[in-house]
Amino acid sequence: MNSSPTNSSNAGDDDNNLVEVTMPPLGTSITEGTILEWRKAVGERVEMDEMLLEVSTDKIDSEIPSPTTGVVEEILVAAGATVDAHTVIATIRKEGGAAPAPTEESRAALDEEAAVVGELPDEMPSNSEPIDTVVSPSAATPPSAEVDAEPRRRSRDRPPISPVVRRIAKEHKIPSGVLAGLAGSGRGGRVNKQDLLSYIEAQKSPPMPTRPRPVLHTESPYREDGAPAAPDGLSLMRRKIGEHMVESLHTAAHCTTVMEVDMSEVEVARGDRYTYLPFVAAAVMHALIKYPALNARFDGDTLVLHEEINLGIAVSLGSDGLIVPVLENAHEYSVAGLHARFRDLAHRARNRKLEPHEVGSGTFTITNPGRYGALIATPIINQPQVAILDIEAVVKRPVVIDDAIAIRPMCYLCMSWDHRALDGALAAQFLAAVKAFLERGQFGA
Amino acid sequence: MTRSSTEMTYLEAISDGLRESMRADERVFCMGEDIGVFGGAFKVTDGFYEEFGEDRVWDAPLAENAIIGMGVGAAVAGMRPVCEMQFADFVACGFDQLVNVAAKMYYRQGLAVPMTLRLPSGGGFSGGPFHSQNPEAWMLQSPGLKVVAPATASCAKGLLIAAIRDPNPVVFLEHKHLYRRVKEQVPTGLYETPFSARTVQAGERMTIITYGAMVHAATEAAQSIDGVEIIDLRSLCPLDTAAIFASVEKCSRVMVLHEATRSCGIGAEVAAIIAESCFESLDAPVMRITAPDTPIPFSPPLERATLPQPDQIKEAIHELLAY
Repeated sequence: MNSSPTNSSNAGDDDNNLVEVTMPPLGTSITEGTILEWRKAVGERVEMDEMLLEVSTDKIDSEIPSPTTGVVEEILVAAGATVDAHTVIATIRKEGGAAPAPTEESRAALDEEAAVVGELPDEMPSNSEPIDTVVSPSAATPPSAEVDAEPRRRSRDRPPISPVVRRIAKEHKIPSGVLAGLAGSGRGGRVNKQDLLSYIEAQKSPPMPTRPRPVLHTESPYREDGAPAAPDGLSLMRRKIGEHMVESLHTAAHCTTVMEVDMSEVEVARGDRYTYLPFVAAAVMHALIKYPALNARFDGDTLVLHEEINLGIAVSLGSDGLIVPVLENAHEYSVAGLHARFRDLAHRARNRKLEPHEVGSGTFTITNPGRYGALIATPIINQPQVAILDIEAVVKRPVVIDDAIAIRPMCYLCMSWDHRALDGALAAQFLAAVKAFLERGQFGA
Repeated sequence: MTRSSTEMTYLEAISDGLRESMRADERVFCMGEDIGVFGGAFKVTDGFYEEFGEDRVWDAPLAENAIIGMGVGAAVAGMRPVCEMQFADFVACGFDQLVNVAAKMYYRQGLAVPMTLRLPSGGGFSGGPFHSQNPEAWMLQSPGLKVVAPATASCAKGLLIAAIRDPNPVVFLEHKHLYRRVKEQVPTGLYETPFSARTVQAGERMTIITYGAMVHAATEAAQSIDGVEIIDLRSLCPLDTAAIFASVEKCSRVMVLHEATRSCGIGAEVAAIIAESCFESLDAPVMRITAPDTPIPFSPPLERATLPQPDQIKEAIHELLAY
């Protein structure tokens, strides 16, 4: 987002005591932040170090203190917006001495400069931060009683490179293109001495291990208090789910295989007592034991098979999103046991009462949105797993059995799987095993 | 050999340095208004008249030019006069003898002028424009004078003893507002403090180059901020350029802080030599925090608004660090 303080209508005023508030970089690998809440409004007085606003990244929330004592002049970025680090988000008029009253001639000079300053936004590259002031009035005016304000440069481009930065860059033979591309923590994104020294240090040491990928679960983050809705109506959970879905698509080589299953035996067994889900879960676990490559995760390039089957079952939380509570060691349960455990998990999930070990430890996920009548879907793998099974609607259809037409309750099992871990043949074999278990009917329930 | 020490205020340390010097060397004597019978306007020479007698503790008439002129004469004749202006501001009345005679005598006639001139300087107590100035820049513009400005009690004593022993005319700026507000363990007996800078606290993010009362204001302002180096110049001429350059090269961000007024003060000189010699070490423009170019007001709130305050210095520190 590009903020242009020079667009403000008071560009003709003396801006010597206008202090910029910028979005701080909240961590070395964090490049943006979301404003959660402004603690002060335009026109309100704020003391130096008093809390001015609260910002959030996907890891932490932080309170940001005011860099100066004064009155909030402008809030340039509203709550809910996400901006890059170093973006100017507000200005504060510093207190402790008003700027000296301009004389007639210096006022004319200011107007002239304001006209020039007003032209700047058209020319600036889109992600630069102008260093904004107007040169202080001429020496004819009485000196101010406050800290002597120094005339600051007007800059049309990125902030300039200081002498020491230029020298160090030259000593280390850093090309100017590289220097220009570095992130700076100085005002306006300026690369300062420490930024450059840190960069040089980072080049010397062995490449940093890539930071651990944040655990991607469709159920995370799980917040008791319910995050405030963003202005576009998406809750924080919804946005996080979205981000993790996108990252899953970028991580796994998604393929979806669909297997048609005759659910008549399940219909008989379930009666009025159970849904289809525990039967499908039991079938899945039977098949996972036979085909363990689908109960695995990637560790770097290595496929690591899990020893236990922790089955995640997707639970809708209404418009907020969804969560996947996990039943650990699910293969130890009977159909009846699975049914009871799933109901308990779903109930506690909807009431935000899950235990920590019930969230995030899954090795395989089943999702079952079938009651609305959709037939086939292509679910997104719940990272870091390698497959996800979607049971869609069970619909009575005419099918051919022994060259005769029969009416059977049919269901499509749609499994998305990671082509890095297995290929279509194995996926089909797995689903065939699930189908065989469900159609055989000896559930022992 | 560890030296014994005792707690002294800044004023007591100056008094002790003068007394010890007079006891050790009978060529040393004092001249000033009210320093004899009265013991000095601030009591620096309290008891001196009784100990050293009227030959060595002269009550001068209200005639600064005469005080300094006679000091020059005595110095040239082999004595070690310690002349006092009752308030630093009054050096203006003796200026001709100081800058044209004392400073140039050695250059003109090869005659050393081992004179010390004590100037009680500085404000912060509603002294008004004639009793609160920091006139060091006047002396620094006159080649031939050494100028020192201690910030601590032990530096004050050591610098005074060294000044008295120095064969050059030395202007000794003692900050009145520190007289009773600053105290510490001060070594007893005779010792010299070199005319060089000292590091008050080490840092690496920025440096504050300062002297006199502002050393204490800087220390207070930088209290809760990491990485701020503070250099106490102690000696303004000769200026410890090596210490300045080393600090600038390490920290790359510089604030020069002084209570004296802004234009053409020592801050301007330090900023200029940094620009000349440390340009490629600078990560930010040199910042000067000083009193503005105005006489020092009598009114307490106006005086507070004029002399640099710790809050103001703290804000400037944040501004420089954010550059």
